[in-house]
Amino acid sequence: MKQWQVLIVEDDPQMREFFVASVERSPELCLVASVGTVAQARIVLDNLTAEVDVLLTDLGLPDGSGLDVIRHARHRHPECEPLVISMFGDEENVLASIEAGALGYIHKDATPEDVANAILQMKADASPISPMIARRLLARLKKSVPVDSVDKAATLLDEQNPNIDVISLSPREQEVLELIARGFSYQEIARLVQISVHTVQTHIKSLYRKLAVNSKSEAVFEATKMGLLQLHQT
Amino acid sequence: MAFSRLLTFGRFVLWLVLGFTGWSCHAQSLQPQTLTHATATITVQGQTEVKDLELPYAWDKMHKGQEGEATFELRFDAVQQDASPWGLFILRLGNAYEIWLNGVLLERKGDLHRYNGGDYAQVPRYVTVPSGVLKASNKLVVQIRADAGRKGGLTPLVIGPQALVQPLHQQSYWLRATASMAIALYSLVVGSLAFLLWITQPAWKPNAGLQRDPLYLYAAAAELLWSFGVGYMFFEEPPLPWPWWGVLSVSAGAIWACAMVLFCIEVAGWGARLGARWLRRWLFLVMGMAPVLTLVGLAWGQPLVLTITYGIVGLTNLSFAVYFSWKSLGAAPHAQKAIALAILVNVMVGIRDLYVYRIDPSYTSFTWLRYSSLLFGLALAFIVLTRFRAASAQARDLSATLALRIAQKETELSSAWQHTERLVREQERSAERSRILRDMHDGVGAHISTAMRQLQSGKASDQDVLHTLGESLDQLKLSIDAMNLPPGDITALLANLRYRLEPRLKASDIDLQWAVDLILPVEHLDDKAMRQLQFMVYEALSNVMQHAHATAVRIEAAQTEHGVRLRVIDNGCGFDVSQPWRKGLMSMRDRATAIGGALVLQSAPGHTVVEILIAKS
Repeated sequence: MKQWQVLIVEDDPQMREFFVASVERSPELCLVASVGTVAQARIVLDNLTAEVDVLLTDLGLPDGSGLDVIRHARHRHPECEPLVISMFGDEENVLASIEAGALGYIHKDATPEDVANAILQMKADASPISPMIARRLLARLKKSVPVDSVDKAATLLDEQNPNIDVISLSPREQEVLELIARGFSYQEIARLVQISVHTVQTHIKSLYRKLAVNSKSEAVFEATKMGLLQLHQT
Repeated sequence: MAFSRLLTFGRFVLWLVLGFTGWSCHAQSLQPQTLTHATATITVQGQTEVKDLELPYAWDKMHKGQEGEATFELRFDAVQQDASPWGLFILRLGNAYEIWLNGVLLERKGDLHRYNGGDYAQVPRYVTVPSGVLKASNKLVVQIRADAGRKGGLTPLVIGPQALVQPLHQQSYWLRATASMAIALYSLVVGSLAFLLWITQPAWKPNAGLQRDPLYLYAAAAELLWSFGVGYMFFEEPPLPWPWWGVLSVSAGAIWACAMVLFCIEVAGWGARLGARWLRRWLFLVMGMAPVLTLVGLAWGQPLVLTITYGIVGLTNLSFAVYFSWKSLGAAPHAQKAIALAILVNVMVGIRDLYVYRIDPSYTSFTWLRYSSLLFGLALAFIVLTRFRAASAQARDLSATLALRIAQKETELSSAWQHTERLVREQERSAERSRILRDMHDGVGAHISTAMRQLQSGKASDQDVLHTLGESLDQLKLSIDAMNLPPGDITALLANLRYRLEPRLKASDIDLQWAVDLILPVEHLDDKAMRQLQFMVYEALSNVMQHAHATAVRIEAAQTEHGVRLRVIDNGCGFDVSQPWRKGLMSMRDRATAIGGALVLQSAPGHTVVEILIAKS
């Protein structure tokens, strides 16, 4: 059985221990290292001989942001799937993480089983998404998607302007996102749209990837939100 | 005498200005003869007398206020050197007349017997002497009809070769008639322009808004009346019966003089002064009285009344002219100085005319006022030009400063806007801060202190403490989510609650049924109201998890006719709704009231419904 190699970046020793224990409990997961700073994480990630399948990182770190660790990991290990440890799973932090390249998030108050589950689900193509985040994504897509997605002129124009991200959604992806925003669970959506739960999950994960790929700026959506973001990190 | 010297000087200037064609005639060897000696037969009121006299014969001077007829017989010898025609030049005669030479009628103007009829005494006359009429010894007979106060009479006659006499007539005619016509036309044009300016150029007055400038009206009245007063001489057959025609012409002159004073008051900007107000009343009185006095003077043959009328007008103008000129010395505007000069010259000329006409009538003289009045027209033109110059300079100035002011205003506006923006932001921040504090106090703070008490008492199990802390964290998350909830979006609120509470429901083995329709945003639910609603639904679900022992909970939301209906339905043990409510339920009811909603509870074992109704508006 394939064991996923996990790197944990968390500055609080107690939390780090909790995550280490959670990973070690699962037979499908294997701990690569557990570190407390961005610098240490970089050292581990720069060692290209070490395989890192999963990065589990906190956002507020003593010497920087977990977002930097995520970007670095994506750069060094393209196959690595980052997972963010978020206290509240709030929009600003989660969206910023997704843009940096994260494919999921775990709450700090999760049980040890939840932690392992979240990692394994992500590896099985299931990324979590909250209705609030789905709503924000919909609002954002409405703003940036050209009316006619094959309108080359518009696309060209958008490419020239790095501040405008063009994310095109398939009608099905749009539908799924709308239902999530309205509070329906994956199972309910699968029933309503008549697709498998797995397909629903795949749609979400593909959306995560699109967001990460299309995020040309390092910032979150609006500059004002940056203040809030930093407030939560520290 | 200084005055006569001034007159001489004036005459000199006039000659200089208007030219003196024909002057050279005097150098000719054959001089025309000036006939001044006459034997006159004069009939006044049936009384006829015959006497020898020297011309000119000014009827009004000899017969004040009386009309009559006169026949003048003049004898002269003539030596006609060649066949060149002769002519007769008479500066003034009339009012109607006939000229006979050696029994041949040379010219007849008007009816000798119709008193106060046509007036032919206004312009110089030239009569050609037909060939063959002139002899070595001649008798010239001039018959006139003279009306009272109409400047009738006869001046010396000049007879001689046409080549010498006609230029004298032409020169005289040019000075008196042609120049008068030009002046009348000039005044007509200036008056009309002033009237147009009065109509079209209202000025902005600080307290009264847009108002027509009386200056232009007075100028227009003066110039138009003057045009009539000067042009009067060309109406030989008056369109109105006597004395009305005379009243009209004399009044025109008087009103002209008064209007000029009014005009000067406006030029100097004295309009609002007390003295000016009294003077204005006086002038209006004079203007009103002038026609009446003239009528008395002409219709009842009282030339003194006429003289007094002229005197009043003259004196008023003289006093004003002196005062105005004195005030216009020094720092007064150029326009006022120009007008002061004009009025001073006119008053002096007017006094001269008054003297020549009314006090010591000289039948050969004529009024000069017609010429000096030109100065008013020029002064008016100067004023108008000055005003337009000032106006365009002001316009230039305005447009130059306008940009500056706009820039200034923009800066002010922008700083005011920034200030307001800052205030609004501060207010928002303060509101947000108090919301967070309240949330911490009611939610996390309360839960943490409960957890501490639970631990201190030693009675609570780990599970209890864990539950308290878990609830605390849930509250915290909901509080954070509430920050981003779109106001009025109940669907989003419920979806978020489900997302947050589903793990706990699952942990409690409660099956969740989701029956939430897509609900239109409710406008009146602001951030605060959304938080209240979030608390209520949270409380309802929390109650189900803690107390109901239910296995299923159903969340319903539907758009109704009156608004939105939310229901949390469980299949738990239920409770007695008639009993006094617990603190949680009380708080739910208070919150429902606060957002203008209602809370309805129904409970029976196996079916408890907590219904929240939110009105549309």
